[in-house]
Amino acid sequence: MWSRRGHGWRIAALTTIGTAIVLPLVVFVLGPNMPPGKGTPVATSQVTDNTVLLVVMTPFTVFILVYLGYALTAFRAKPGEEGLDGAPLRGHFRSQVAWLASTTAAVLFLAIFGTTELLADNGAGGGAGPNPVTKPGGAPLPVQVIGQQWEFTYRYPTYGGVETATLVLPVGRKIAFHVTSLDAIHSFWAYELGVKADANPGVDNIAYVETKKISTFHVRCAELCGLWHGYMSDTGHVVSDADFASWIAARKRQFAPVMKYLPKYSSSYNPDPTFRAG
Amino acid sequence: MTEFAHPATDYGVVEEEPPALLERNLLIGSRLWASSLVFFFFAFLFAYFYLRSLNQHGLFQPKGVSPPQAWGAVVAVCLAASAVLLSWGAVDQRSERRGLWRLKGVGALALALVAVVAQVVAWSTLGFGPTDGGYASVYLGWTGLYTIFVVGSLYWLETCLALSFRYRDEPFGRAEVEPGDASGDDYREAPDIRNAVHLNTAELAALTFTWTTMAVIGVVTWVVLYLA
Amino acid sequence: MRRRRLVEFNLLTGVVLGIVGFYVGWWLGHLVKAPSLDYFDDTGQNDIALFVAYFTGVVGFLVGLGFANYPVQRMLGKPPSLREKETEGIGRYFGLCTDHKVVGIQYLIGIGAFIFIGGLNAMLIRFELLRPTHLAWNGNNYLTLVGLHGTMMMGMMTSGILGPFANYFVPLMIGARRMAFPRIEALTFWLLMAAGTILMTALAFGGFPTGWTGYAPLSVQANMGMDAYIAFFALVGLSMTLLGLNMLATVITMRAPGLAWGRLPIFVWGTVSTSVLMLLAAPVLISTLFMLALDRTAQTGFFNDQAGGSPYLYENLFWIFGHPEVYILALPGMGIVLELLPVFSRKPLWGYRLAVTGLLGITLLSFLVWQHHLFVSGINADLRPFYMLSTELISLPTGFIFVCALGTLWAGRIRLTVPMLFALAWVFNFLIGGLSGVFLSDVPSDVTTHGSFFSMAHFHYTIMGGLVFAFFGAVYYWLPKMTGFELDERLGKLHFWVMFLAFNSTFGPLLVIGFLGMPRRVVTYAGYLQGANEWVSVSAFVLGASMLVFVANLVWSQVFARVPAGANPWGSKSIEFQLPSPVPVHDFDRIPTFGPDPYPYGGIEEAGFDGTRPAVSPARPTP
Ligand code: HEM
Ligand SMILES: [Cu+2]
Ligand SMILES: [Cu+2]
Repeated sequence: MWSRRGHGWRIAALTTIGTAIVLPLVVFVLGPNMPPGKGTPVATSQVTDNTVLLVVMTPFTVFILVYLGYALTAFRAKPGEEGLDGAPLRGHFRSQVAWLASTTAAVLFLAIFGTTELLADNGAGGGAGPNPVTKPGGAPLPVQVIGQQWEFTYRYPTYGGVETATLVLPVGRKIAFHVTSLDAIHSFWAYELGVKADANPGVDNIAYVETKKISTFHVRCAELCGLWHGYMSDTGHVVSDADFASWIAARKRQFAPVMKYLPKYSSSYNPDPTFRAG
Repeated sequence: MTEFAHPATDYGVVEEEPPALLERNLLIGSRLWASSLVFFFFAFLFAYFYLRSLNQHGLFQPKGVSPPQAWGAVVAVCLAASAVLLSWGAVDQRSERRGLWRLKGVGALALALVAVVAQVVAWSTLGFGPTDGGYASVYLGWTGLYTIFVVGSLYWLETCLALSFRYRDEPFGRAEVEPGDASGDDYREAPDIRNAVHLNTAELAALTFTWTTMAVIGVVTWVVLYLA
Repeated sequence: MRRRRLVEFNLLTGVVLGIVGFYVGWWLGHLVKAPSLDYFDDTGQNDIALFVAYFTGVVGFLVGLGFANYPVQRMLGKPPSLREKETEGIGRYFGLCTDHKVVGIQYLIGIGAFIFIGGLNAMLIRFELLRPTHLAWNGNNYLTLVGLHGTMMMGMMTSGILGPFANYFVPLMIGARRMAFPRIEALTFWLLMAAGTILMTALAFGGFPTGWTGYAPLSVQANMGMDAYIAFFALVGLSMTLLGLNMLATVITMRAPGLAWGRLPIFVWGTVSTSVLMLLAAPVLISTLFMLALDRTAQTGFFNDQAGGSPYLYENLFWIFGHPEVYILALPGMGIVLELLPVFSRKPLWGYRLAVTGLLGITLLSFLVWQHHLFVSGINADLRPFYMLSTELISLPTGFIFVCALGTLWAGRIRLTVPMLFALAWVFNFLIGGLSGVFLSDVPSDVTTHGSFFSMAHFHYTIMGGLVFAFFGAVYYWLPKMTGFELDERLGKLHFWVMFLAFNSTFGPLLVIGFLGMPRRVVTYAGYLQGANEWVSVSAFVLGASMLVFVANLVWSQVFARVPAGANPWGSKSIEFQLPSPVPVHDFDRIPTFGPDPYPYGGIEEAGFDGTRPAVSPARPTP
């Protein structure tokens, strides 16, 4: 039989080697492919975030898998040992402390790291409620996202409150999405932008993002909102300043006749409460 | 009184469990149930303060929505008095003054019934309806569920009283349980609890705890819904 | 000498009275009239009538089962008793029975049936997702399937281990002959059966669109099927509260001499911690559903933004219950796995105290994390760092469980029996579940993963990969004890390997699909995800088929082969294996006295309970 001390060293060695092999793969191969891609600064830092999480997990995962694999080979009952018991070990203080210390360190690191990322990125693209703690400098372009059964519409308060059915954003601008709903809870998920914010009736849920390159992105509703929830998707566009200016001007012209029927722009709206639907 | 520690019990026979065991079951069970009760109403407490702090569209408690103060006070006072009376009665029972306990028990039952009736009257004389904002909703939901629980606890009180009345002449006597009746299985020859009437004291202790918890919740309800 | 009753109370009378009660209530409910309720008549959507009908139906069912007899006797002043009069033989299983062993088996079969239905729903969901566009179910039916599947699973699996195994084995493990409240024990089971039936009736009332979370205001608008969801979950909540109460009272008051807290088998600790969560969290659910029912019937405005309420209130309350709920689904699995590993490693549990601390730590922390389900909802956004921290802190006690599991393997003599395979698979699956949870707990990362298939895969790794694998471990380990007949080992291994591989090949890719941007609960998805979804669906069908292997094994070995298991097929040192299989009606002749060590492996003879087995005299009939 191998000595128990030997088992420990072998597992440690295998874990180290395994980690040394896996870590570079995680950082250089998996990491850059993590969601949601590098469409915006917020999305990019989410990718970084995901990579860091993977890196922190790697040694623990490798250790547990190595240990499992090793234990199941080395500690299997050999033929003829059927009636026998293993060693009556009831714990090992030092390894328990080591485990506690390392997991605590990892957890605290993750919490602190997550918090700094969250604050540094002004909510990291997530809905931050009506009064976000951190706001980006400058004057972000406000765009209101209105969830309703079963589509999103978008209002541009700085352009006369015009309401459109497609989302078009100017490139290189900071955007403040003001997400609200007219009925059930929806969730505005602009995948490539790294934005997700729930749309609640009566709530102005704000999420910040900065557009970086001319592109299209997917919008889906990410909170179950009823019958056609599964069809509530949409494509958004990030376009050049000039294209944006002409697009919004065209929309203003197009919708001018109906503007007077729209409610005045506000942070939330009062729909008819007696409405009942499947 | 019963102990909560865990003395080695003699379970030497299959039949006739010593009543001490069920006594402990009941006492611990009542404490656990009381902690559940707290969480039932924690939900409403949370709802109250949450909606009040949000006050969506100023509709939490529009002008004119105010609870019937007089009836609310009647409910709270009756409940509190009922709980006090019951605890007092439990002391009597423990010191073998069972006639006195029955008197107080009936009193506690009557007071609680008055509280339930007062609550029903309060509902029917409300100046507001369920659609009148957050406060109105919380008021109706909270008092509604609470009343259901009060009625349920009253059932328990009634069973204790009924047992006590039925065996009033037998000082902790042996109840006439038919052999094999309560024990579950046909082939057993004795009841499953030795001296089942003896349990009255323990059951009363358990009930008192639950009922006091209910009364405390009732008073909190009153403070929050009527006074805050 | 039993007095014979005119009508025996059993499942049949229960069902008959249940149906009668339902229609009586339906009729009564239609008598309620108020101007604000006119649309009930206009639309034919009379929620009040349905709620009343469910209520009277459940009452009728319970009366028919005989649950009313004892309470009525007590009202007349009859002295208390512990148990209901019971017949012998197979009839015991079809009615109100207060023998904890019978209740355990009732649970196993009753819950098993409903979970099977839940599994079939999953197959139908995965069938639809073979195509990115509409294939078989329209939007409403698809959502109803998702809702039925999730709600059924979440409702039934909460008692999936405590119901069958804790009811059966906790009294044995602590040296008691019964649970603290045997009638309540029986009640928890029959409540669940009533609940499951009610949930199925949602189909007759148009289904419900909200998934298992029932978020308002969607659940306030929804049609009458929603009432089935509410009634189901409220009954499940009641059953859970009572189950938790009963378990705790049992363990606190009925431990046999010598069995101090520090000597309890770890499965009992798993049960205790789960029970605490059930006792305290399920009431919050019931109250929340009560509010929801009022919103739907009396037109209150708890969750109506236009009427002084807030949908946020529902989200908060639901998750104050909901997060403890997910640990109600995790802790019993941990208990089982830590119970099985020592037996098949032939070693004491490594780090007993650490494991107990882990279980209790999880119990405590799980009340402090609920807003991690609401990171992007806009609720209390400034509290997100706190919830991020508290959530990540839970990985510490969870880590204790892991390190104890791993430590137990160390230098053991591991035997890869079927229960052991399931226990080891738990370690692997729960590891992946935990790692994916780290992404969800990190706010920036959660912005992508929240509400996506990633989170769906995450909780299937913890619940299906964790709890359900532990459940099967327990079945293979304990069923021979419960029935007296062995389960076939070869079929068991086949079941295990197909299930393990198919499970990972179903939910592993789903993690990636979620990362790629597919939301959950959607009936259509982006075309480029079709290949991956087809793979997942096919794997899911194989996973479903593995359940058939299990059923085949069950039927074959218990009905046809019937190989007697003997008292101790695994060489376990746990007390229940010192009793005959199946365990006699009265469990022990003599209440055992326990020694200091619940896991006396490794040749320490003086440990364990006194002697080798508590006396059980053969003179008594064992039906
Ligand atoms: C045969 C194994 C299973 C398969 C193939 C499966 C598959 C699925 C699928 C496809 C969904 C719907 C995804 C969506 O459209 O959002 C789902 C949802 C869900 N499943 Fe399962 N599942 C299985 C077992 C389980 C088990 C054992 C549990 C718990 C005990 C469970 C709990 C849930 C829950 C809670 C939901 C969420 C429902 C909702 O969105 O409200 N599943 N499952
Ligand atoms: Cu939506
Ligand atoms: Cu949670």
